[in-house]
Amino acid sequence: MVIKFYINKSEVLRYLKYSGEEVDKITNDLINECIEEIKADKNANFVFNIFDISKSHNKIYVEDSTLIFRGKDIYNHLKSSEKCAIMASTLGSGIDKKIRYYSKVDLTKSIVMDACATVAIESLCDETEKIIKKIAAQEGFNITFRYSPGYGDFSIDIQPEIIKVLNAHRQIGLTVTNNYMLVPRKSVTAVIGFCRNEVSSKSMGCRDCSSYKNCVYVKKGDQCGLKRTN
Amino acid sequence: MGLRELIKKEFLLFDGAMGTMLQKEGLKAGEIPESYNIFYPEKVYNIHKKYIDAGADIITTNTFGANKIKLKDSSYSPEEIIREGVKIARRAAENKFVALDIGPTGQMMEPMGTLSFDEAYDIFRQQIKAGEDAGADLVLIETISDLYEARAAILAAKENSSLPVFCTMTFGENRRTLTGTDPITMVQVLEGLGIDALGVNCSLGPREVKPIIDNILKYSSVPVILQPNAGLPQMREGRTVYDLTPEEFALEIKSMAKKGVTVFGGCCGTNPEFIRKVRESLEGLKPLRPNYSKITCACSSTRTVIIGEEVKVIGERINPSGKKRLKEALRNHDLDYVISEAIVQKETGSDILDINFGLPEIDEKETMINVIKELQGIVDIPLQIDSTKPEVIEAAVRLYNGKPIINSVNGKTSSMEKIFPIAKKYGACVIGLTLDEEGIPKTAEKRFKIAEKIIDTAKSYGIPEENILIDCLVLTASTEQSAVMETLKAIPLIKNKYNVKTVLGASNVSFGLPNRRLINVTYLAMALAYGLDAPITDSTSEEIMDTIRAFKVLANQDKECKEYINFFGKIENKGKEKDTVSQKDLKDIVLLGMKEEAASMTKDLLKSTDSMEIVDSFLIPALDTVGVKYEKGEIFLPQMLRSAETVKKAFDVIKDHLLKEGKERISKGKIILATVKGDIHDIGKNIVKILLENYGFEVIDLGRDVPVEKIVKTSKEENIKLIGLSALMTTTVDNMKITIDELRKNGISCSVMVGGAVLNKEYAEVIGADFYGKDANEAVSIARRVFQA
Repeated sequence: MVIKFYINKSEVLRYLKYSGEEVDKITNDLINECIEEIKADKNANFVFNIFDISKSHNKIYVEDSTLIFRGKDIYNHLKSSEKCAIMASTLGSGIDKKIRYYSKVDLTKSIVMDACATVAIESLCDETEKIIKKIAAQEGFNITFRYSPGYGDFSIDIQPEIIKVLNAHRQIGLTVTNNYMLVPRKSVTAVIGFCRNEVSSKSMGCRDCSSYKNCVYVKKGDQCGLKRTN
Repeated sequence: MGLRELIKKEFLLFDGAMGTMLQKEGLKAGEIPESYNIFYPEKVYNIHKKYIDAGADIITTNTFGANKIKLKDSSYSPEEIIREGVKIARRAAENKFVALDIGPTGQMMEPMGTLSFDEAYDIFRQQIKAGEDAGADLVLIETISDLYEARAAILAAKENSSLPVFCTMTFGENRRTLTGTDPITMVQVLEGLGIDALGVNCSLGPREVKPIIDNILKYSSVPVILQPNAGLPQMREGRTVYDLTPEEFALEIKSMAKKGVTVFGGCCGTNPEFIRKVRESLEGLKPLRPNYSKITCACSSTRTVIIGEEVKVIGERINPSGKKRLKEALRNHDLDYVISEAIVQKETGSDILDINFGLPEIDEKETMINVIKELQGIVDIPLQIDSTKPEVIEAAVRLYNGKPIINSVNGKTSSMEKIFPIAKKYGACVIGLTLDEEGIPKTAEKRFKIAEKIIDTAKSYGIPEENILIDCLVLTASTEQSAVMETLKAIPLIKNKYNVKTVLGASNVSFGLPNRRLINVTYLAMALAYGLDAPITDSTSEEIMDTIRAFKVLANQDKECKEYINFFGKIENKGKEKDTVSQKDLKDIVLLGMKEEAASMTKDLLKSTDSMEIVDSFLIPALDTVGVKYEKGEIFLPQMLRSAETVKKAFDVIKDHLLKEGKERISKGKIILATVKGDIHDIGKNIVKILLENYGFEVIDLGRDVPVEKIVKTSKEENIKLIGLSALMTTTVDNMKITIDELRKNGISCSVMVGGAVLNKEYAEVIGADFYGKDANEAVSIARRVFQA
């Protein structure tokens, strides 16, 4: 399946720590080049599945599966939902290979490519979310925003379980290392709730996060959502 | 009749999906399907039985994911699950065959992920031994995306069992596997390892898979397997379903049987009804064994280079003999230099790369292994393993993810006895040098005789002619003038009789003469006209590549002169673009990040200026300015990096210059950099590295996912004063602490600086680091402090 996604240049600049300086022509051309290369790769893919959920003792049980979500933040995220979609998206290993290749011949390009790929995977997730939203709407549900392992106290050690439940290795070639890193690197897993009432699909602010006080990203004036796919 | 004979004479029919059937029996998402062997053996037995009743000749054990990685959290070992799985299948199969099912490990191998080739091999070995002990009749390695994993599994099967081995890989709509392998490369590499049958499973539906199968049939000398899904997946009411009926599926299979596929089965979405229909559709048909093309080729994991259809260039530059800079790089474990030599050859037109590390003062085997590991993840052209030591050759071809060329064997019995078993076992091509116990012969006829002996002996080892390349060995025109033409005359003599191809490393011909380049290109043109298929040469030489381009036009290889016109058309355009660089000095060039101009300007400057002065008055001040601008927010990351890369280009020229002059190289101190064990993020580390090097520090870059022991060992050996460690994940920062603890335990008192997104100053202190580098500029000032430079 060919999936179209848009790579927003101003987002790319933000990842490159751009703060209003003049973007010189060489850099600008380089960003355009990288965006085109990522679009031409065409190995991006996604998989999702929709499950009923039940709640008890501050845990979310994903029905007909082995998944149990623990933690206050994911519980709050899904507390008014009846179902949830579990999704995984990846740009594929070709992009990892490109970034590695350029890190040997053109370090600047590898960093620009990395930033473009980070924007691309977020955009691919947005597209996946749109498909899920449509399905939810057909069944009369609203959806919550997407919530990924690594946010708040939703630990990344859930990744292997998510990969297993989605059969994501077989479906889209997504794997996870012993240290819970997704490979291919430009990949995201996420959980989206289906609920009957109106929900804000706007992302939770850092202040609502249970890790807010200790968060190293916040200390640097950054946010974790930026880092987790890097 | 045994399976190995049967497969040559009859159609063989595997079963259909296991997973789909288990889901109907209540398997939950995420549950380990193989656990049913223990908890619900009757359910598994019934599924097998249904397939046997539907007409399957071979049933597949419920052991797809029964490996150490996937069963990590299970209370059962792979051995227990496999033993039960084979037992159940055996009971259902009776006199039919039982295939031990082996799926992928579930983790990505290096360099994509962190699983090493040896680890993958051990995982598969455990499964295969358990399967054979339990009584399986064959090993089926299936649904593989990564050719490297297929290699590890097949080698494990071949070396630890006597069972027939089948392997199927999974392809996408772009006709490649997820890691980029195409059908022809799969055929070449798997056949080379001695597989009994190969093919495609899962992937797509039987219709979509046709072009892939056509390609496989064109090249495969062994029976071809097809086990597709029941069509393409579709979402219906939130569930995945496949779009073909059993009848439609069987019809497609029948058409593939008519083309020459002889082993069938079903994958996702199929059930016993599909298998029954396939059995019916094969009735009355006879298996067909189509003719296949015998080609000479070398492969990386994603690219097959066919030798013999048009001139192919084998790049010769990664060979330390006579190359000061490469020697120095090898002594200093500077892999990046080797990689850059590989890349420049690829970009200038090398189709295959020869790699040789025969330098007395380094560990040849270790270097070979390290380079192959790094290179095969970056450069997609096949490698030619060049060594005089059989143990180096074996280690290299075992590890290489593709079909390499071995350089070389010769007509001496002692050489053939050592090299041919390696070439046979791993399916590598091999270059035969026309020399024997009596040395290099004078005449073409004697060269032919030696080639004949090499080819015949190779065949007795089971190596086909098409895997042999002959090098007719050139002598020097200044000393052996009358022998020079003999080399060329031998080429058609050999090629007319045998289906072998020829290579030639010809630059020795001009040794001792003035204007060597003229002699070299003239001889190259002559050799090509005599039928030389692949010169081993320097593709960075314009004259050589121009000669080859011209030859390909004249020999009707470059159809419609396309390549030629394309290439020379481009160069003429380039000439017009030169701008007004001349008014800028090196410092401006760095500030503007004009990478391309840095080298030529530095060369010019070196004519009048001392190298240290260039560093101190141009490069370092420019870098300092860039650093300040970056801090102030006047330029942003890509601009800073481009300036850093520009300085690096200038430094490279200076390094070459110092080596040529025999002067001491610039070193303000040696620093180890490494991304710690378990972590594969290296962007930050790479930025720190280039900046440190630009400030004159020597960096030993140990790479990513670096074992603690390697850091400890290198620190000791190189007497290191400063180590920089990087980690990006909270889960891998722990390994940073372990590394530091281990260094201290070993009495290494050097300074350690750490960096990475999840770290801060306090945390750096907690894990025992001496310094926290918040960014690359900070790392430079730490290094300046430590070395007082």
